[in-house]
Amino acid sequence: MNKAAFYDLDGTLLSCNLVTTHAYYARNDRSLLKSAYQFSKVVLSAPVLFVVELYSRSLFNVISFRAYRGMHRDRLIGLADDLFEVTLKPSIYPQAQALIDATRNAGYRNVLVTGTLDFTIRPIALHFGFEEVICNRLEFRNHVATGRVLPPLVAENEKARRIREYAARESIDLDQSCAFSDSSADVPMLTAVGNPVATNPTRRLRRIAMQRNWPILDLREASSFLPPFLRPAKALQ
Amino acid sequence: MRAPAEQPNLSTAFDAVWRWNAVRGEYEAGEPPPLCGTGEVSAIEAFRGRTMLLFGGTGFVGKVLLALMLDRFPELKRLVIQVRRKGTTSAEQRFYSEVLKSPPLQGIVERLGESEIRRRIEVIEGSLDEPLCGIAPEAIRRLQGTVDLVVNLAGVVDFDPPVTESVETNVYGTQRLVELVQSLGAKLVHVSTCYVAGKRNGRISEDEPIEGYFPERSKRPHETFSVEEELRWYEQFVSETREARGDGARPVRERLREGGMQRAERWGWTNTYTYTKSMGEQVLAATRGLDYAIIRPAIVESSLRFPFPGWNEGFTTSAPLVLMGGEGLKGWPVRKDGPLEIIPVDLVAEGMLIVAAAVLCGKNRRVYHLASADQNPILLPRLVAFLGMNSRYKHKHKKTGSRLANAWKAYVETQVITVESLQARRARIRRGLDVIHAALTLAKTILGEQKVAPYLKSLRDTRRQIRQQEITLDKFLPFMMYNSFVFETRNIREAAGMLTSEDLKRLRWDPESIDWADYWVNIHTKGIEKWIRPMFAARKGA
Repeated sequence: MNKAAFYDLDGTLLSCNLVTTHAYYARNDRSLLKSAYQFSKVVLSAPVLFVVELYSRSLFNVISFRAYRGMHRDRLIGLADDLFEVTLKPSIYPQAQALIDATRNAGYRNVLVTGTLDFTIRPIALHFGFEEVICNRLEFRNHVATGRVLPPLVAENEKARRIREYAARESIDLDQSCAFSDSSADVPMLTAVGNPVATNPTRRLRRIAMQRNWPILDLREASSFLPPFLRPAKALQ
Repeated sequence: MRAPAEQPNLSTAFDAVWRWNAVRGEYEAGEPPPLCGTGEVSAIEAFRGRTMLLFGGTGFVGKVLLALMLDRFPELKRLVIQVRRKGTTSAEQRFYSEVLKSPPLQGIVERLGESEIRRRIEVIEGSLDEPLCGIAPEAIRRLQGTVDLVVNLAGVVDFDPPVTESVETNVYGTQRLVELVQSLGAKLVHVSTCYVAGKRNGRISEDEPIEGYFPERSKRPHETFSVEEELRWYEQFVSETREARGDGARPVRERLREGGMQRAERWGWTNTYTYTKSMGEQVLAATRGLDYAIIRPAIVESSLRFPFPGWNEGFTTSAPLVLMGGEGLKGWPVRKDGPLEIIPVDLVAEGMLIVAAAVLCGKNRRVYHLASADQNPILLPRLVAFLGMNSRYKHKHKKTGSRLANAWKAYVETQVITVESLQARRARIRRGLDVIHAALTLAKTILGEQKVAPYLKSLRDTRRQIRQQEITLDKFLPFMMYNSFVFETRNIREAAGMLTSEDLKRLRWDPESIDWADYWVNIHTKGIEKWIRPMFAARKGA
């Protein structure tokens, strides 16, 4: 039986912020004038998004994906590498790559499970060396984004469902597999596998992890300990 | 320890639900349509126990075709491959040390093992430029009756070489090839180009008669074109040009180059290449009793899937344009409504095998266009936008060079312009450089040579660069600006539709599924940066 390591992205491996992503696309519009207009829109919407996120995560998602409405898919794909260099690469946590390499070397298949969009994920997945990606995709009409996401939206319970589906198709033993996430929204994803790890946990997730006796890991620190099931002594058995 | 993945798998987890429809530009729900053909032709059975003789297997398309045949069709009994001797390197040496070591074949050679390759392949020395195609008479005797199909990919693909080079290989070479094919008792698949259509617009049909074709035929119905007539002109022109060697100031080579271009233009062809390629086709069409098919690929580009995404080689593709775009060219003279007729090299190779199977089964048509715009056009303004985004990415993070120039190249978007404004821009730049030149000359007399010399040198370099850019762009203008074609691809679709479902697992003709954005940005541009840029830099430095 194969085993896999399922990773959440945002907050777990890097601190990618939706507002900075949107600000990037706004800054890089086709002309300087358009850029200025788009950028001011992002600045105005930022406080609204902040409030909405406190209220509901899924509403936050819906609103933030709406910012893509009217954008041409060619541009989203064509600017992805630059977006990665400018906004995502600098925000990768220092220990992220080491953890991914550790799971790979321990024989896990690395799978990224994230609500971020496919074109944004591509350079990240290449950078970290992920083998498989489960992510969201935008809906397009004649190459132009409608501002909606193709259902079902990858988040919370859907993440766990997709992981189970993937495991069944690729004959992966979920009890032997592990998952890494930072947020309490991903508790379904974490409980789907045998070895969940609370990674840079939020306060709520930290509490849950303590209750359930899950290992806690912090990739933001310059050095961190691997969770017990990844330590070499255990891997040798 | 496991190596990190070269390409992450972005789609398998997804494709069960949504598929990208490249033509409509939206995701569609549901299972992909099952692969099925009528089964009139079975490629696997057509190739079983057959022997093929391949001309031009060392080129860009040739290597991919060879890799495809080795990889997908173990049923083929033998592949005889013609290779030119190069200097003191024999054909056999060249094949095993150069061709098999090249990136597209390396992986397959490793997988199959060299002994297996040697069992399936025979290398013979030959060249279309020599009598009997340069093949030793005893080799021809040995091959007689054993070769089922000859595939010819050899040709001079330069747009404007001295006319002698083109005619020698593309016309006389084809004549020699036809003789060889007939003496072997084989069938022939001959590769030409879509652009034999010449300076025309609109949809180009595959059914137009080949013999006597010239692009302006419909405009000049009273004139006739014949290969014999053209060869008579050619012999006379070449001997006159060579005799007149003494009195002209310009070298013979240049005059031969110009003569070919002028003759091509007289009939309405874009350049010497398409003119001589069309004559090659007409040689085939005029031969009685020859069983042949002509394959006309459009502009052949980086591979989509096989042997790996992004394989590219040489400068005959749109590589110069992509490199120029990456360097930060802003104004692009292209048609707003025109497609660029490109086709990935692996689709060309697969299309060729589909046609080869049809020919072996006797169910072929005469002409096959291998092009994309008929089903899934990529319009030029979209490509211009991609070039701009690539320049943005490359210059934003560039640490060397002038900061102002980098910022300009990073933040100013590419534009679609007309030919008139292109000329105006060029004139403006030239005037500007003239003013700088005058100022520097003046400064030289005041400040002395030493202080100004480096600036003068960089001015000369800039001028040379700009001239080079202009020449390259002009070469592509017929395909981007002056003419706008769509090549009909009914015949290849029909041939693919005749295959069995088992064949379709090995061979596909599916340009309609190419996601151009992903192809251009993530496959083609990166392939060119990886495989062509280093060669280009080396050539420039030399």
